[in-house]
Amino acid sequence: MPDQTNSPERRDIGGSLAGATLTSARVSGIDYDPVALMPDVKIMKVGGQSMLDRGRSAIFPLLDELVPLKDKYQMLLCCGGGTRARHIYSVASELEMPTGVLAALGGYVPRQNARMLQMLLAKHGGVFMLHDDFEKLPLYFKLGCIPIMTGMPPFGYWEKPGKDGRIPANRTDAGVFLSAEVLGVKRALFVKDEDGLFTDDPKKNPSAKHIPRIGARELLKNDLPDLILERVVIEYLTRARFCHELQIVNGLKRGQVTRALEGEDVGTIIYKD
Amino acid sequence: MSRGRLLQGDGRTHIESELMRESLVDRKVIARTHSEREFEVLPDVMLVSIGGQSIFDRGRDAILPVAEELSEARGKVKMIVGVGGGTRVRHTISVALDLGLPTGGVAQLVGAMEEANAVLLNALLAKKRSMVMQREHFWELPLYLENGMLPIVISTPPYHFWEPPAEEGPLPTHGSDFGLFILAEVLGMKKLVFVKDVDGMYDKDPKKHADAKHIKRTTLGGLFAQMPDDLPIDRQLLDAWRNARHVERVQIVNGLRRGELTRALAGEDVGTIIDRGETNA
Repeated sequence: MPDQTNSPERRDIGGSLAGATLTSARVSGIDYDPVALMPDVKIMKVGGQSMLDRGRSAIFPLLDELVPLKDKYQMLLCCGGGTRARHIYSVASELEMPTGVLAALGGYVPRQNARMLQMLLAKHGGVFMLHDDFEKLPLYFKLGCIPIMTGMPPFGYWEKPGKDGRIPANRTDAGVFLSAEVLGVKRALFVKDEDGLFTDDPKKNPSAKHIPRIGARELLKNDLPDLILERVVIEYLTRARFCHELQIVNGLKRGQVTRALEGEDVGTIIYKD
Repeated sequence: MSRGRLLQGDGRTHIESELMRESLVDRKVIARTHSEREFEVLPDVMLVSIGGQSIFDRGRDAILPVAEELSEARGKVKMIVGVGGGTRVRHTISVALDLGLPTGGVAQLVGAMEEANAVLLNALLAKKRSMVMQREHFWELPLYLENGMLPIVISTPPYHFWEPPAEEGPLPTHGSDFGLFILAEVLGMKKLVFVKDVDGMYDKDPKKHADAKHIKRTTLGGLFAQMPDDLPIDRQLLDAWRNARHVERVQIVNGLRRGELTRALAGEDVGTIIDRGETNA
């Protein structure tokens, strides 16, 4: 080992972690009792391809449904990307760009979508927010606002490359789940254009059966080639501390989102099992 | 295929592309975006990490010689310098966990302590053309590097409140070494140099075991085949490297030995060299 008798010493502050490697899986001697920061917030993802790309016919009825509920619930709206994100992923992927570059490029689209919703909701208190405004959520709710942000997490260029392909693994579903998890919200809501999860793609197979409830581990065990939410989200759910349920509802069916906000088990619920 | 046309008919407006109407969760669709090659954005740049606990926390006697080596290499080697946070990060985490803050809340806090070290190092090197760079501003890098500047960045990745839950325990898993690795990888860099306070990697912790054996050279596959008990770099970095396409070499040198960093920047075999090797581990 190196002779360090003449080396300047490390000046530790002390405490249970001094000298520890910070990313080790286990830290002994810590009594961790986590606090839920804002457990009453309702976090909702408005789907990109499923809702926003449908334009007025899908978005106006959804907003009509949400506006009367804004004083009853603290709603945080997060936007998906949709076909423009798919287009830029396609072009960037053909140019053999790294995954992190795709994630950064894909980030622009849900931000645009969030700005669109903000314009429509401005007269009802809609405010567009960036990741850096996250700590201002209490202010927005106190003022009766509806905060609207991108669903993408801020990983951007720091998105990990995957084993196959270049599509970033953490996209808008992941960001919505992680927002719920850090705020200590039990259930995250995903507004799409289907009644939830089916045994097969209902757009291609009309005899596919609806699944009202399924556990995250069970879903992963089935190892389906396709899923209704990003795969990482189901993986995160298995080790979540706070967000233990993902509810997927049909935003095209009037009233489903309201019933979900009231706590009803409509659509599909994927739970931590 | 033609691309860019707007298509309607199923209630949605699509842009024609390879991924139009596709589920981006579908494994087959994801695999279609794979190719063996990947574009290199800035392949000639090196990333140098200055350890928080290992260098900064030792104060003047450790920091000044490393700063001097950096200023001597500037202009000869195109590099970005990343800094760690050290013991103040550990203290932050210790208090935050005692308060019961969620994992994402802890992750949100730690970058500030690294920023402080970036400012310290920059104050020392400003007259040698260093600058603190907002880490995601790297489209400005050609300007800085062509003019012999020495950009200094913090290391923690910007996962912030959105840090994913760990497989075990409340600590954020995407730490500084991982953050710098991804920064190097996404820009297509080939080499990272970690400046620590040990001569590199040992088969066990040299601070605790007098008979610890130094590892001069190894490969990523070799490490996964026989992982040392104690690593001077984060395991997350090694995990991410397995899927990486650009980073070929990670070198760990002792910043307390004058000249070792300079020799590593010149391509010499000092400290411990980990090569990605032929095949992915």
